[in-house]
Amino acid sequence: MAKSEELKVAFPMIANYNDVVRYFVEVGMNQTYIRQPKMTRRTMKLGAKYAPDMVCTPFKTILGSMIEALEAGADTLIMVFGYCRLGYYGELAERILRDLGYEFNYINMADYTTGKYKDYLKALKKINPKAKKIGMMKAGLEALKMMQNIDAIEEYYYQNLGFCEDPVKYKSIYTRFMHDMHKAKNSEDINEGYNKALEAFQSIPVHKGELPLKVAVLGEYFTVMDEFSNFNLEQDLAMMGVEVHRWMNVTHRNLHYPGEKNLHPRIQEYCQYEMGPTSSANIWYAKECAEKGFDGIIHVKSAGCTPEIDIMPVLSRISSDFKIPILYLTYDAQDGDAGFQTRLEAFYDMIEMRKKVNI
Amino acid sequence: MELTRIPKRKIDRAKIVVGIPRAFLTFRYQTLWQSFFDALKIKTVMSQPTNLETMTKGENKANSEMCLAMKIYLGHVASLEGACDYVLVPRIADFGIRRVMCTTFQALPDLVMNIFRHASFKVLSYNVDSRLKTDEKEAMIAMAESLGFSHSEAKKAYKTAHKASEDAYDQQVEENEKLYKQKGLKIVVAGHSYVTEDRYIGKPIFDYLKDNGIIPIRADLVDRKEALKAAHKASPTLKWELSREIVGSLAMHYKDIDGVILLTVYPCALDSMVNDMIMRKNKMAEIPLLQLTLDAQSGTAGLETRLESFIDIITMREEQEDHGEE
Repeated sequence: MAKSEELKVAFPMIANYNDVVRYFVEVGMNQTYIRQPKMTRRTMKLGAKYAPDMVCTPFKTILGSMIEALEAGADTLIMVFGYCRLGYYGELAERILRDLGYEFNYINMADYTTGKYKDYLKALKKINPKAKKIGMMKAGLEALKMMQNIDAIEEYYYQNLGFCEDPVKYKSIYTRFMHDMHKAKNSEDINEGYNKALEAFQSIPVHKGELPLKVAVLGEYFTVMDEFSNFNLEQDLAMMGVEVHRWMNVTHRNLHYPGEKNLHPRIQEYCQYEMGPTSSANIWYAKECAEKGFDGIIHVKSAGCTPEIDIMPVLSRISSDFKIPILYLTYDAQDGDAGFQTRLEAFYDMIEMRKKVNI
Repeated sequence: MELTRIPKRKIDRAKIVVGIPRAFLTFRYQTLWQSFFDALKIKTVMSQPTNLETMTKGENKANSEMCLAMKIYLGHVASLEGACDYVLVPRIADFGIRRVMCTTFQALPDLVMNIFRHASFKVLSYNVDSRLKTDEKEAMIAMAESLGFSHSEAKKAYKTAHKASEDAYDQQVEENEKLYKQKGLKIVVAGHSYVTEDRYIGKPIFDYLKDNGIIPIRADLVDRKEALKAAHKASPTLKWELSREIVGSLAMHYKDIDGVILLTVYPCALDSMVNDMIMRKNKMAEIPLLQLTLDAQSGTAGLETRLESFIDIITMREEQEDHGEE
């Protein structure tokens, strides 16, 4: 397969998923992938400087990471879309970047939402018109496999980290796995990396006791998954000695989504309709965890995330119906993490005390 | 309290009273709803125009991060308590691809149901959602059927109501279009109808402009079909129906106006992005533009100062242009 025209493709930083895109671009499309540096306060500052004030925070980080991608030498940007404001991110970000004087090719998936799936293929054709469909499909499936592996490892890591004998080693296995995914060139690499990490995890003893503290983390799609945006919430929480459960990831929400039809019968007393792109899932998960006897729920969102603000009254009702505490965390562009740390510690103290009293 | 899914049975129609909160989409659908219920001989009651009391009630019910328009809406719902058996809260998600509403209008019935679960009224709703293939007509007929009306009665009522609402809107648009042709300084106020038409937050701005010899024109009153087309040209992936009408309206009338006020409530999800885009694209048109954000705290003094200086700028520009022509 020939490279028709050398492109340097980049994608905004989103949680740990950039290597999934990298794999698809390199293996499936035979183009170069440019990976911008990990997000820092600079990313946020850049984004906040050029983005409109009142827009939700993920727009600011995404804009910042697009600028950093262009600085790192990318000449083609891919942008995704979604059902909320995310659907307009693409066009506004492009306008802002062009106004700043950047020149680049832009593939905004929102341009191709016509209701027909085959139109998305046209978007891919723009990356490499000579790419073969078969190769793309194969690489696509392998990339999806990588994504599922990443989600599974994350889940395993945060549920056990707080109880293992060697947290430092645990962390290094996790980092090593992400590095392996970064280097993966074929499906063997993907599988091997996953198996190696799982084996290594299992070689470290975990002591959970009979009733470990369990906390469910849910909320807005981007902020809840992206550790930079939520100031490593799950890591901190796990290190306090908590089993951290998070349903929201791309595997669950996009690949194996049970759909509103299946979720709604389970939450009928709380809502009749779909209230927003991730609302049904979050309400269902909150109820599910409350029923299972979790010790607390943390609701994470960026400032101004309308769909998540709208489900807060519902979550409060679940909280009082099931007597389960909920901590609401709102992240915006200006925050340092000190305030969050304090609130998290207070929340932990509270659920720990409740547990002792209840036993 | 639960959303109404009443089993089919005849209800004593004379006794039902449906409450309509005078906020949000009511300004868009007032005629449609009113004549629909009139045709079915159902009594309706509408909440009083927004005042300080509505605002306070709403703020107490709402989450602090919700937008001002939502707080006002919840205040109106609260004020209907005790005055009606049902409160009409439709769920309007979208009308097709790139014709969606703010997610708040998807959440509204469930939101009201949860916040007012101890209230004496029930929520009466209809669901417009292209993914479920339910359009306004079907949805409203289904709502009437759930109240015990026959399909044909409901269909007839919708037909009457639809016609009445189209006619009323056409007339509004016609009158609004005349304003663009009038002589004098013209400022377009671009905001959602639930902001521009609200007695408490929007109207004072129109009054102030009029008192100062300006002709204020509403951007949201426009031939909707034409506006959607114009908006697609101006911003291809813009997907919010309400924003597209406003953006399209601005694009259609740029040449006839002297200034634009982007009137928004804090923190409006749509306007936070769309207004930025309008300002970026406006650089080429070079029309004086003022962004006004209303929040629950603002008194009128600050607003008046800003409006005053904006009017000064426009007047000065006009005088300079006149000079140039001489």
